[in-house]
Amino acid sequence: MSRYRVSADIGGTFTDIVVEPSDGPVFIGKVATTPDNPAGGVINGIKDLVSDLSQVDFFVHGTTVGLNAFLERKGQRVLLITTAGARDSYTIARGNRHTLYELRYQKPKQLVPRRDVHEVRGRLAWDGRVLEPLNRADLEPIIEKIRNEGIKAVAVCLLHAYAYPQHELEVREALAAALPELSVSLSHEIAREWREYERASSAVMSAYVAPVVQRYLSSLQQQLLNMNMMAQVHIMQSSGGVTTADNARKNPVFTLLSGPVGGTIAGTALSADTHRPNLLCVDMGGTSFDVSLVIDGKANATLETELEGLPLLMSIVDIHTIGTGGGSIAWLENGAMRVGPHSAGSIPGPACYGRGGTEPTVTDANLFLGRLGTGSLLSGAMSLDEAAAREAIERLAHEAGLERTPFAEGVLAISNATMADAMRTITVSQGVDPREFTLVAFGGAGPMAAAFLAEELDIGEVLVPRFPGAFSAWGMLQTDLRHDFTQSFFRRADAVEYGVLEECYEALELEGKASVSQEGFAEKDISYQRSADMRYTGQEYTINVPVPAAIDMATTISDFHAAHQRRYGHSNPVAPVEYVNLRVAAFGAVKKFAKTHRVSAAAKVSAAVGERSAVFNGVAHKTPVLLRDGLSTGFRSNGPVIIEEQSATTVVPPDWQAEVDAQGNILLRRRSD
Amino acid sequence: MSKVDPITTEIIRNAFIAIAKDMNATLIRSAFTPVIYEGKDCSVALIDENGDVLGQSLGLPLFLGNLEICVKLIADQHGWDYFKDGDVFYMNDSYMTGTHLNDSTIITPIFWRGRRVGFAASRAHWLDVGAKDPGTPVDSHEIYQEGVRWGPTRLYEAGKPRDDVINLLRLNSRFGEATVGDMNAQIAAGRTGEQRLRALFDRFGAKTIAAARDEIFKQTEMREREAVEALPDGEYRAEGYLDNDGLGSDPLLVKVRITVKGNSMTLDLDGSAKQARGPVNCGMTQTIAAARVAYKLLICSDVSPNGGSFRALEVTVPRKTIFSAEEPAACGWYFSSLGLLIDLVIKALAPVLPDKAAGAHYGDSMVITVAGLDPRNDNRFYLMIEPTTGGWGAFDGGDGANSLINNVNGSFKDLPIEIFESKYPIQILSYGIRQDSGGAGRYRGGNGTYREYLVQADSNLFLWFERSKTTGWGIFGGADGAAPNVIVRRPGEETLEFLKINGIKVGEGTVIRSVTGGGGGYGNALERDPKAVREDVLDGFVSSDYARSAYCVVLTDNLEVDIEGTSNLRTERIGIR
Repeated sequence: MSRYRVSADIGGTFTDIVVEPSDGPVFIGKVATTPDNPAGGVINGIKDLVSDLSQVDFFVHGTTVGLNAFLERKGQRVLLITTAGARDSYTIARGNRHTLYELRYQKPKQLVPRRDVHEVRGRLAWDGRVLEPLNRADLEPIIEKIRNEGIKAVAVCLLHAYAYPQHELEVREALAAALPELSVSLSHEIAREWREYERASSAVMSAYVAPVVQRYLSSLQQQLLNMNMMAQVHIMQSSGGVTTADNARKNPVFTLLSGPVGGTIAGTALSADTHRPNLLCVDMGGTSFDVSLVIDGKANATLETELEGLPLLMSIVDIHTIGTGGGSIAWLENGAMRVGPHSAGSIPGPACYGRGGTEPTVTDANLFLGRLGTGSLLSGAMSLDEAAAREAIERLAHEAGLERTPFAEGVLAISNATMADAMRTITVSQGVDPREFTLVAFGGAGPMAAAFLAEELDIGEVLVPRFPGAFSAWGMLQTDLRHDFTQSFFRRADAVEYGVLEECYEALELEGKASVSQEGFAEKDISYQRSADMRYTGQEYTINVPVPAAIDMATTISDFHAAHQRRYGHSNPVAPVEYVNLRVAAFGAVKKFAKTHRVSAAAKVSAAVGERSAVFNGVAHKTPVLLRDGLSTGFRSNGPVIIEEQSATTVVPPDWQAEVDAQGNILLRRRSD
Repeated sequence: MSKVDPITTEIIRNAFIAIAKDMNATLIRSAFTPVIYEGKDCSVALIDENGDVLGQSLGLPLFLGNLEICVKLIADQHGWDYFKDGDVFYMNDSYMTGTHLNDSTIITPIFWRGRRVGFAASRAHWLDVGAKDPGTPVDSHEIYQEGVRWGPTRLYEAGKPRDDVINLLRLNSRFGEATVGDMNAQIAAGRTGEQRLRALFDRFGAKTIAAARDEIFKQTEMREREAVEALPDGEYRAEGYLDNDGLGSDPLLVKVRITVKGNSMTLDLDGSAKQARGPVNCGMTQTIAAARVAYKLLICSDVSPNGGSFRALEVTVPRKTIFSAEEPAACGWYFSSLGLLIDLVIKALAPVLPDKAAGAHYGDSMVITVAGLDPRNDNRFYLMIEPTTGGWGAFDGGDGANSLINNVNGSFKDLPIEIFESKYPIQILSYGIRQDSGGAGRYRGGNGTYREYLVQADSNLFLWFERSKTTGWGIFGGADGAAPNVIVRRPGEETLEFLKINGIKVGEGTVIRSVTGGGGGYGNALERDPKAVREDVLDGFVSSDYARSAYCVVLTDNLEVDIEGTSNLRTERIGIR
């Protein structure tokens, strides 16, 4: 009997589902997301693909439920408790400006108004020494307020709690004694590192989204159980690892960006499969364009991020979002031509959607030029209105004094150049050269633009993975369970004894072991990754350096110099180096099927669908249109050719060639002839 | 002139901006000192062969529209052929660059197929350039005390570094290695600009790029002139005072007269204070740049600046004022007058741009420096320098921001208390938003900030706090914000109050409380919605007493609006007026 591993990527409009059977090729499904009962849409989608849910061995999903609760400001009221004297650190939010030419600058709107930020006396020094004991009496009026005003969640961020958590724990104890139902989020448990504003912001965010995420997870678990699914429900974390729903309920903030990171994690799996260490991953949808990097087979990660200007301290896959997509609108200004950043979104959407949009978009230009067909989207389930696209393009082309075709190609040229410019800036700031990367294009609109972006960046090779529209969901099946642990460790590297360092790491690993085995993993399936945040003495920012177990410390320090050289273009091997944080990521190896099939050995459907006229460089070409489901390993064709599938359309321009590799990826290369 | 299609023009326009961004990313990535890679105290520009800006990254606002003037000044002195392929120029002379000697300007001429096609230029703040005291002295009265002056000097010639010159830079800094590191970062940024501009020329050719550039400049100029044309013709004036020159002078007048005529605008600074003895002077180049910042805040703020920008703006300054310093004027704290200048331009034009203007902000960087020996760290020397946030002005539709860094700063962030206390032998006793310091108005000015330091090692205190004479003023009837102050309590001694001081002893146990000013209000405070005043009281931004005295809003004991009491009080107040 077949067994299944199943993943679901719940987006704002659609939910993508990937099913990996134990004995056959992967298949996918797409259903509408049901915002009122987010669990409902997923369950319907899975039922369409797997009739008996008891056959599911592993289930993982990514969701925007928590993120949406934040973006729509529908989380719960949170009260924040801080150290006396430092109350306003949270409201001042470090006093900086995100935009510099702004006379009417307004700070990002905080989740807790100043009136709900309270102080408690009790003071620690930077190294964790107690300068003044916690004054529990100060909590009395706060407890009184919580009770009177029916507040359900409290975040606690005390100065230097990363070095000495006891005061925060004492606060929780006192609150729990008086208010057993109260949900309390302690800053050192969310992020055990310094910087009180960022840590408070993270703890507040966790408390703020908690009930929404918790309600959703419980409902999903219950409904799946009712359908006889015995597998644990897993959820993707922003770090790129998965965790169980039970664990996610404790600290929901770690799942906040669980959707988009799937694509980059899929990139790391693709990197291993195809033996290409460096990938530039681009996910292009209707309104946004996400860029991320896989370097040496690893997802480029960062240790903090911002959501609408509010900082979050947590390990997170580094993704840059640019406001360009299929819905970007072309417009004129003082005789100049612009594309985006305004987007038609999905409502009204591009003119060709026939939902009332009248302005020409990138998608309209693709349709007008024949790169997209009227029946290309969702296997023809959504028909595009060619006349509406033509009309929109004609009107603006006329205004710009251009012929329709050069105008439409111009819209694409401008949007491609804009995306490529942004991609280049991202790679420059990371100290890498895009020409050493393979471009991986996914998302609904990515494979259509991929070859053109590669040309702009002088990249010779593009991978379009199987099921590009569901690539993020597929990525979730490729990763392991992961829990992160941090300990701030502020010492000069040359003054640290090996034993002390080892002891700290072992303590963190012990925490990791307890937490991962609680998720049902046997000791032999648990592994650890040690790393340290390090810097030159005097610097503020740190670089995260991997610390393999049992390494000698001199190697770690020289690894730091090398990492600094790579990231900043210089290093100073004689300058003193210091540790700031020690980190351990604990992994539980998720059981996978022996071989991941992503393409049938022999295609069951015919590849040729027909042909249409498509314009490249002002010339109309008779272009064959192929069905991707009909292509098998070894297929090879020169451009121009268009390859359609349910979730995306791949455009191979005339001077490019396409082939299907052993894993079923389409590999595009610039033709050498 | 050859014609180029709008698609190519747009691609080239975006490329110019992207090249500037790449240069900036390179500079920040490679810089040695945090003031550049964290504070973003830097700026870059891609400039064409005539010295006009093609693209600029939005770094430190104060350097807007400055780098191209430096290129033109060199050409004025030496002719355009002075720039050779493989050259890299350094300069920091305040009377050319306009700013203080710490700001390093590095210019790389870009050649393509043997002809000069442009320049990559950058400016970044270097930690130390050999002044009499570390960093920037607060009591200098001659530029020679502020560091080593460099006119345009080749760091590279024919593609080769001039090691003797670079060594001279290294030897004249207290942090020589970091200085050379930051210099290399600026040179790397120039290389990025050079490579990318050459690639753009390879792709489009010189003719197309020139035609696109002309078109881009024309479009920008057109948009700006339209915006200026929309202002009623006339003369607009404003004036204010700097507290003093740092050496105890009388207040220094800053006088702004703007004449709008048709589609152009002239800013005249005639009547402003003569060149001062203390370090508050700046060179003409930086005055023009500051005027451009003010203009940019009001006119076409959304357009990326290029060679077509600022053509509608002319700036005239008489010789030898604080805005047109000449040798040997000291320029170390050149920016204090410029923050005021920017605020005054906005004040002058507020009546005709009510939907763009805002009340004035707290005004200056409010820098506190404490230096001494750290007993926790083998009595090594420590140096704590930090600017302080304050209140910003209110505007039509919104209250001013509380505790925000001043307008001439970059991406400054305050130092978290947790990091601060680990770095310095000083404990932060309290840090917060200063109640009732924002000017009252229909929209409230932002509140200033207080920060209280407990010194735990024998040290020296230096202060540069400004704008106590001309505080953040309100507009359209809004009230002014409160003034700054610094209070020093030394154990067993009388409490002292200062704004500027050059080194007094502060021993262990000394408490320094700095307090910054608020922003100006917008509109009549009696028109503020009593509910909004109540919200401010609930959040503690305004006290109940101040709600009553400034807004005539009466609150009950449980902090509800007393509607009748409020109405009576407001009627009475209007009657008195």
